[in-house]
Amino acid sequence: MTIIDRPSTDVAIAGGAPAGVKPSEALGVFKRPAASTSWRDWVVTVDHKKLGIMYGVTAFFFFIVGGVEALLIRLQLISPDGKVLNADQYNQMFTMHATTMVFLFVMPMAAAFANYFVPLQIGARDVAFPRLNAFGFWCFLFGGLFLNSSWFLGGGADGGWFMYAPNSSTLFSPSHGIDFWTLGLQITGIASLTGAINLIVTVLNMRAPGMKMMRMPIFTWMVLVTQFLLLFAIPVITVALFLLTFQRSFDATFFDVASGADPLLWQHLFWIFGHPEVYIMILPSFGIISEVLPVFSKKPLFGYPIVAMSGAAIGFVGWGVWAHHMFASGLGPVSVTVFSMATMAIAVPTGVKIVNWVMTMWGGKLSFTVPMLFAIALVVQFTIGGLSGVTHAVAPSDTQQTDTYYIVAHFHYVLFGGAVFGLFSGFYYWWPKMFRRQLNDALGKWNFWLMLIGMNLTFGPMHILGLQGQPRRMGVWTEGRAGEGFFNFGFWNRVASIGSFVLGIGVLMFLVNVLYTHKSKKVAISPLDPWDARTLEWMTHNPPQEHNFDTIPTVGHLDEFFHRKYETDSLTHSVKQVHSAEEVMAELNAHPDEHIHMPSRSYWPILLAMSLPVIGYGLIYNRMLMAVGVSLVLLTMFGWSMEPSTSPDDDFDPPAPGEGGGHTKELSPLG
Amino acid sequence: MKKMIDQFGESMKTARRWRNASKAAIAVSALSFVASCGRDAPQDTWQPAGPNAERIDNLQRPVFYVAGVVGVIVFAAVAWSMYRYRDRGQAIPEQTHGKPAVEIVLTVIPVLILLGVAIPTASTIFKLAETSDTEMTINVTGQQWWWEYDYPAVGSNIEQYGITAPIVTAGQLVIPENTKVLLRVTSRDVIHSYWIPKLNGKKDSVPGRVHLLRMEGSKPGIYAGQCTEFCGLSHAYMRMEAVVLSRADYDKWVANQLEEYTVPEIGTDAAAGESVFIQQCSRCHQVNGLKNSDGSLNIAAPEQNLVSGAAPNLTNLMTRNTFAGASWDLLTPECRDNVWNASSADFGERYLAGVSTECLNQKDLREWLRNAPAKKPMYADPTKLASTGGLYRGMPDLGLTEDQINVIVAYLLERK
Repeated sequence: MTIIDRPSTDVAIAGGAPAGVKPSEALGVFKRPAASTSWRDWVVTVDHKKLGIMYGVTAFFFFIVGGVEALLIRLQLISPDGKVLNADQYNQMFTMHATTMVFLFVMPMAAAFANYFVPLQIGARDVAFPRLNAFGFWCFLFGGLFLNSSWFLGGGADGGWFMYAPNSSTLFSPSHGIDFWTLGLQITGIASLTGAINLIVTVLNMRAPGMKMMRMPIFTWMVLVTQFLLLFAIPVITVALFLLTFQRSFDATFFDVASGADPLLWQHLFWIFGHPEVYIMILPSFGIISEVLPVFSKKPLFGYPIVAMSGAAIGFVGWGVWAHHMFASGLGPVSVTVFSMATMAIAVPTGVKIVNWVMTMWGGKLSFTVPMLFAIALVVQFTIGGLSGVTHAVAPSDTQQTDTYYIVAHFHYVLFGGAVFGLFSGFYYWWPKMFRRQLNDALGKWNFWLMLIGMNLTFGPMHILGLQGQPRRMGVWTEGRAGEGFFNFGFWNRVASIGSFVLGIGVLMFLVNVLYTHKSKKVAISPLDPWDARTLEWMTHNPPQEHNFDTIPTVGHLDEFFHRKYETDSLTHSVKQVHSAEEVMAELNAHPDEHIHMPSRSYWPILLAMSLPVIGYGLIYNRMLMAVGVSLVLLTMFGWSMEPSTSPDDDFDPPAPGEGGGHTKELSPLG
Repeated sequence: MKKMIDQFGESMKTARRWRNASKAAIAVSALSFVASCGRDAPQDTWQPAGPNAERIDNLQRPVFYVAGVVGVIVFAAVAWSMYRYRDRGQAIPEQTHGKPAVEIVLTVIPVLILLGVAIPTASTIFKLAETSDTEMTINVTGQQWWWEYDYPAVGSNIEQYGITAPIVTAGQLVIPENTKVLLRVTSRDVIHSYWIPKLNGKKDSVPGRVHLLRMEGSKPGIYAGQCTEFCGLSHAYMRMEAVVLSRADYDKWVANQLEEYTVPEIGTDAAAGESVFIQQCSRCHQVNGLKNSDGSLNIAAPEQNLVSGAAPNLTNLMTRNTFAGASWDLLTPECRDNVWNASSADFGERYLAGVSTECLNQKDLREWLRNAPAKKPMYADPTKLASTGGLYRGMPDLGLTEDQINVIVAYLLERK
């Protein structure tokens, strides 16, 4: 199904290339780049695994940028009337911190895992639209760089990541920060949208034989739900951003009260996107730990269909709760009641997941590896965040809590304690798959404990600060409102600030671990199946070759890999290992697929993506430049469409059986 | 037998480990309990001082307790499975894929808990939206970065409270105790949010919309608040205070607010201050009854000078305790404590005394007059005014001399 026969080379392929000319030589500039081992290959690649790594590295870079912004915020708030940042800088800092973490770290890091592992988990050779996949990555990279270039061109956006109108108009925010913000997010939005379509088509059409939907690994399930959320949420924010761009750049009046607009329009648009967005951020991590917990409990995921369906249920109900961000906006009691009830309702499928994770561990055989520790921490911290979420699903209670540090505590427990811990669990779990080496366990434990302690020291006290009445988004807090005694605002703000640096060191430990693992001569190559895993991505080489599998497996079970390694006695239900991972793979590859056709590399995704920020800069600074950008976009789209559909050097003929297992081309940029 | 003893010893060890752990857990929870409850932050959301906030409190306390219990159960289950099922070389467990009965029970339980929460939530939402029992109406308008209070001379405001002419103030909302006040909240520029935690939850003030917010204080005193919707540069400096007075004191406050303007005695600093005020301040700041040198009424025109089109009315500045969006006190710290910490019985008298010469916080007020945007960021940089057509976003740096500041302070001290 994923194996496409190589087109005969003497057929004219694109735009009437003369017969007899090889496609790689066709049409001069339109020929497709050849494979190489240099850095150039990373620029023109369409390999989902390379793109996954590129997503990951870029997202981690932005994680550090957002982290530095967070540390500056905590430095400012460590004492009353902070002097580290002025009011303007502070407002830019919290706006860009949230924007960076949401759009440039958590979402693309989830996309990194989705890109790398969804095709592997479903037994596919690549995604459905490989060039579109590359285009998505480059849009994310250039969109993110464009957005952050505002720091060097007059300052970042200063309206908060929610960018409420009318504070976002040029009257109230005259700098270009918000223009960079709207256009930058528009560009990264293209990445999300194309990625969503790509992964949906991939998952629905390219699963290995026998892999029914209900045999898909749960991570793939959660990614699928996430992509549907993206598919419908991104257009909403796209429209909202267009309205704001037109308001700021062309004097439109969509949010201008004097012209009769209602500023609540923006809030509805933003949160109709913004609430599904929180599930977009958390569901991939739910998927990751739903893989990790069973592996290290040596048990299948408890209630797999219920976990999958509760994910889908969250995906649906998630569309009906957006106005719980607006309980103080003056919606009227009927709307508030409806959204309050809907918000409580969404706690049920979320609670179901937590129950299923605990039940997965219950009765298992637990080994506390680093990925397992991160996964368990997610369960606990997400529970705290979920319960505090229920307290402000109660709308009257929310009118006391919204826009205070209690909310900051809540969503950092679900997003940092939840989503980010899930991503770190994924790093440690899948590192040997991606880079052939296991990250060091001792450094990993330091990484984990420092992050755990730092996270709770930073965000735990914010519950107390918020309930004692400290609002968010204030560049300074005053002793006049700090309360009496030792445990006043001052104390808890200091604890939170110190905690944030512990957290920062914890994250640094991850980088130290990566460097150590890949620089130290002592770290051995990881075994094929280091964790005794359960799913298809482990049934191939570490890292997988470009074509992923020499043989596409036929799937007969959920947790197919586990079933090939282990047998259950039908009477005693006792489980025993019958094959090693190596044996399973050797058996699978005994009859490798012939003639594997892989998608060809292409220049056009990066060129098209590079043209988009030109339009952005043009819109801000010079309309002529904008025309240049538009022309570049049209030209590169033309080039893309004229490109020959294939190049012969991408096809792969596996070694004849008996010649030894496959080839040894490596992907790892580090190992 | 020996085996049994060993086992017993092992389980005792386990029990001891658990007891130590639970001791630590109790210590931690006790500490956080003391930490979170024993404090007296002025904006504490758990210390209601009026029936609306009490209604919220009565709803949220049980929710917090239930959430706490659920949390403890989940943590205990996680901790227990981590301890009980850790890898001790046991056989690979049976590959069970779930138990429908367990799933159903564990789904129904949260549904029931949430239903139990949902019903009182709905009824509270509607009770807090009630407006038919209103006894007094006040217009509250937010703008960058202060609140204006307008007590309109309408209906029960006139009949019951003697507000025969509109009273316009800023910084402190003054309401009579045990009175169902309805705030009509709106904004002149961006979205702000009105929040006095001890009296009620918050409500956004949105330009072009009027939102209704119930406000009622059970006993005299002063209650702090803070703008809670991000509203631009000086969001952190947009505070507010609500003052609750006994009915008798409230009548005195209204009478004082409605008093005629008193012209400063000729030859005093205050008289000199009046003319500086007319030159420098009255473009934006209204003082009711102030007359120009030609005898005409002085009418401020903030709409010609400010983006929001409004500046605080200073007619009775010294009856309030704060200035500049309630960001600084007009009272020295000792005098402020004297008012804020007064008993309910003494509070009204001390508050109504206003700001005397001895009690005036000269330092902050003078710094403000010297260069307001240096104290509170308000886009002082004139190049940033391009987008506003030259209108200011708050009080500009007026470049006053020290002599001018002296006489303005003397003049302002008489505004009560």
